[in-house]
Amino acid sequence: MNETRVIETNRGDRDDEQLPSSAVNSVFTTRGLTVYYGDFRAVGDVDLDIAEGEITAFIGPSGCGKSTILRCFNRMNDLIDSARVEGSLLYHDIDLYDDAVDPVAVRRRIGMVFQKPNPFPKSIFDNVAYGPRISGIRGSMDELVETSLRGAGLWDEVKDRLDKSALGLSGGQQQRLCIARAIAVSPDVLLMDEPCSALDPIATGIIEELMGEMKKDYTILIVTHNMQQAARVSDRTAFFTAEADEATGQRRGKLVEYDDTSVIFSNPADERTEAYITGRFG
Amino acid sequence: MATAMRPDQDVKTSGQTAPWSPVLPTLTSRGVVAGVEVILYLVIVIMVAIVEYYVAGPITDFGLSNWWIGFVVYAAWTGWNWAGAQGPVGSYVDHFIADAAGRPACFSCIAVRQFTRFGILFGIPFLILDSNVWLSVALMVTTGFVIAAMPDRRAPWDLIAGTTITQSLAGEASVELPVLTKPSDLQLSGQRVAENRRAKRLLQLAGFSSVIISAYIIRVIFGEAWEFVAASDFEWGLLRDIGWFPRRNKFDLSTLFVGTLWITGIAMLVAGPVGLGVAIYLSEYASPRLRGVVKPAIETLASIPSVVLGFFAISFISPTVLQPVGGSLGIDFGIFSLISAGIAVGILTVPIVASISEDAMRAVPRELREASYGLGARPVTTALRVVFPAAISGISAAFIVGISRAIGETMVVFIAAGGSGGAIFEANPTEPGQTITAAMASLGAGTDSVAGSGIAFQSLYFLGALLFLVTLILNVLSDAIVRRFRQEY
Amino acid sequence: MSVKPAGRPDKPTLGSLQRSRSADVRGQVFLGLLLLAVTLAIGMVFAVLLSVIADGADVLSSRLWGFLSNPSSSDPVKAGVVQGIRGSLLIAAIVSVVAFPIGIGAAVYLEEYADGGPVTRTVEIAVRNLAGVPSIVYGLFGLAVFVNTLRGITGGSSVISGGLTLSLLVLPIVIITASEAIRAVPSSLSDGAYGLGATQWEVIRTQTLPSAMPGILTGSVLSIARALGEAAPLLVVGAAAFYTTGFQGFLDQFQGAFTALPMNVANFAKLPADQWAGHAAAASVVVLVVVFFINLVAIVARARITKRLGR
Repeated sequence: MNETRVIETNRGDRDDEQLPSSAVNSVFTTRGLTVYYGDFRAVGDVDLDIAEGEITAFIGPSGCGKSTILRCFNRMNDLIDSARVEGSLLYHDIDLYDDAVDPVAVRRRIGMVFQKPNPFPKSIFDNVAYGPRISGIRGSMDELVETSLRGAGLWDEVKDRLDKSALGLSGGQQQRLCIARAIAVSPDVLLMDEPCSALDPIATGIIEELMGEMKKDYTILIVTHNMQQAARVSDRTAFFTAEADEATGQRRGKLVEYDDTSVIFSNPADERTEAYITGRFG
Repeated sequence: MATAMRPDQDVKTSGQTAPWSPVLPTLTSRGVVAGVEVILYLVIVIMVAIVEYYVAGPITDFGLSNWWIGFVVYAAWTGWNWAGAQGPVGSYVDHFIADAAGRPACFSCIAVRQFTRFGILFGIPFLILDSNVWLSVALMVTTGFVIAAMPDRRAPWDLIAGTTITQSLAGEASVELPVLTKPSDLQLSGQRVAENRRAKRLLQLAGFSSVIISAYIIRVIFGEAWEFVAASDFEWGLLRDIGWFPRRNKFDLSTLFVGTLWITGIAMLVAGPVGLGVAIYLSEYASPRLRGVVKPAIETLASIPSVVLGFFAISFISPTVLQPVGGSLGIDFGIFSLISAGIAVGILTVPIVASISEDAMRAVPRELREASYGLGARPVTTALRVVFPAAISGISAAFIVGISRAIGETMVVFIAAGGSGGAIFEANPTEPGQTITAAMASLGAGTDSVAGSGIAFQSLYFLGALLFLVTLILNVLSDAIVRRFRQEY
Repeated sequence: MSVKPAGRPDKPTLGSLQRSRSADVRGQVFLGLLLLAVTLAIGMVFAVLLSVIADGADVLSSRLWGFLSNPSSSDPVKAGVVQGIRGSLLIAAIVSVVAFPIGIGAAVYLEEYADGGPVTRTVEIAVRNLAGVPSIVYGLFGLAVFVNTLRGITGGSSVISGGLTLSLLVLPIVIITASEAIRAVPSSLSDGAYGLGATQWEVIRTQTLPSAMPGILTGSVLSIARALGEAAPLLVVGAAAFYTTGFQGFLDQFQGAFTALPMNVANFAKLPADQWAGHAAAASVVVLVVVFFINLVAIVARARITKRLGR
């Protein structure tokens, strides 16, 4: 069943309970997810079903709120005082914004890789072992570090200098170290916020290849500015855009279309998507 | 971290199958720590020896003087600790770091270990200093607990030497995601939550204590000042008299105001042009290399304690500068005068004016300068017509902070202006005089010591409150100006 | 003779593009004045240091050990500064124990926990203004609270009172420098740690504080230097000019009469110059050596830790 789902936004009287229940294998289900910064509604009414074991790409112009939405999935928005989230976000049918949920425990299951490589000013070994150590995992980290570094395709390059500072690595290596660091705690999901935007094409290629291999173990959500990247690596693509609010004139983000990547790039349902992917979008 | 150990490296290479296998710092890093500690110990011992020397006279019996015993005990212990990198004895010591399962040992275990380590270091000198055994033991235990409570349960110099002592592991770590069926599965262990909350409370306490302290300072100063106003049957007329003689109930504030004005004025006459000149030179003309020489030199000036400047005023400025110059002009200078003290305060104020003005001028965007040069302007025109006006608010803030500092300066005036217990009203700066701060210092010090009560004592707080208000207003003013100039760029 | 259009100069000749020395007299004079200011400022540094060293050379060369190891005395030949050295050491210890934990804790609270609401702003304003209060006002507070109200604990005019007073004096400095150091830690580090499931305290303990440590350490050490150079608050708190001590027990070391190095300078400077100027200068040299040494330690420690952190 390959239905084309075009999400209607700004539906007024929607009842979440009566929506068709999410697919059996969906990791995240969002309904009416909206993020405010203070009074400013940054991005609103996002309905998504993220499938397990797939790579989902968020694309769209700057300021469309795709990174903001991504940061809802591991509650990184909680760190911004003015940010407020409305709507529902189910993770394996558990409301991530439930009072009983501790955001710290969420982030241990849902890892994140950031736009700029941000290794800690420690040794390569300590960088990878950081996550397991703080989550209270004891025992020798040797095997775990090796597995994680292999998983990020970095082991052969760094195995002889595990005790050297991580800051001595190249940008691409640093980003793969950050991936190794994230997968060291065996997360369920990996959120990647423009992971290649600070890297050269060769390093980007390595990481894209890596993502293809990692998707058998992890569900991956990636925000990218690079449409070719989304087309290359992702299974599904969500297109966001920013439109000026008629009343205030502020640009607010919204989800336009969410579908299989092949559909989005070959036969988009919305003309705004088509305009964007064909480069006719300002 | 270059010297940081990889976990369980020792255990693997030695092939031991110990019931527990703590990871130990390398021999080298332990050596560095031991070296630092021995030096620290020696420093403490020398300090103790100096005190002992003047308390009990020269030490004749060096052979078995008890601080040598202390040193021997400490050296032996350090050696033991060092050997702990491999030997069985050391293993026992390190048992206090980790338990058999490889978890860090309990807080008190680590505290015990640390107080054997550091308690000996800091406790024994005091044990020798004083025969009060229990007090020394208490000090040792406290030291141990304080260090065990530090981040990573390490002493600060462990960080410098780069040892990690808490990483201890047994068996291979395995990571599994816990089952997830209900929201409460997404919670942290109670221990981590509690630790997080405890840390927050403690830091909050520290944050609020600074507010409580400032509120209390204001309350105490103004409370006592009010007592002066109330108890002295206060009339403003009282404040105009022949001079400032608090012990004889003569509180002529104008004496102090004139003194303070002279000191501040003279200081700014010195510090204004010099500080501003240095600032313009450093920001507009100096090459990076020259800047690297001039700036530290000016900063050195900032770190000279004000008592030294006070002494400099009477040992150099008055006899070597003012008296010859005054002599040729027919002005008679004594050793103590307001001018001499004012110049010394000015020297103290130069680095303040220079550094704040330089910051303000360097904050002027490059484009403005380049625009000016692009129109064919010379450096002097650029500096005076473009950079200076753009930085004017920052520069005025520098002057205000300088004035505030000059008003509050005490020791220079106390030593060099010559007014001790009291002063006759004197408007001539070549004569000795008294400022608000120096009058306070005299009231507090032996020259006109006042007991804990009485109107003279409270006049001290009256002056303090006055000073507090004046400097507060100046600081708020400069703060507001600085904030405005930050907003401009 | 044709009239040229206004605003278009003649074709440039080599002469018009050459630097004309005579035309820039103003610039030369200005630069001269600036150089004069710089020379004066640097001259001040050297004048202070050299004149103090020259005045103190006599005492320091003839009886250095005696000067460092003798207590105060009315006899210029016997007088020394050991009481001041001891007092200053104890004050440094008290300041590090009292001001550092509170100051660094407050800085962490302000930078990491505080929400920018009215309470935080109050704390920040309080701290900034405390930093600008003249040191002698702290002395008044110490006199009222530590010397009089808490006499039972501090023993009156004692090194405890003096040390606590100076702790309050440097507290705002510690808070401000530590805050700056913490603010300079890139947020990408803490984001990375949060992203791996660290609690706020774990982020602070494992990332923020270690990275901010060079700055915090430098600020703390410099504040010790500041405390060791201060005399005015101690004067008011009641540092003794002269006192004799017999054998002092442990508690008497803390609760009895005390003095500090800068107080030694002030006391010597207040005595008749013909006999005591050398002592004041020698004591000044000791203070300067201590203060510069501490500054040096701060610089070296900073460089060492910065290198260790790989930045």
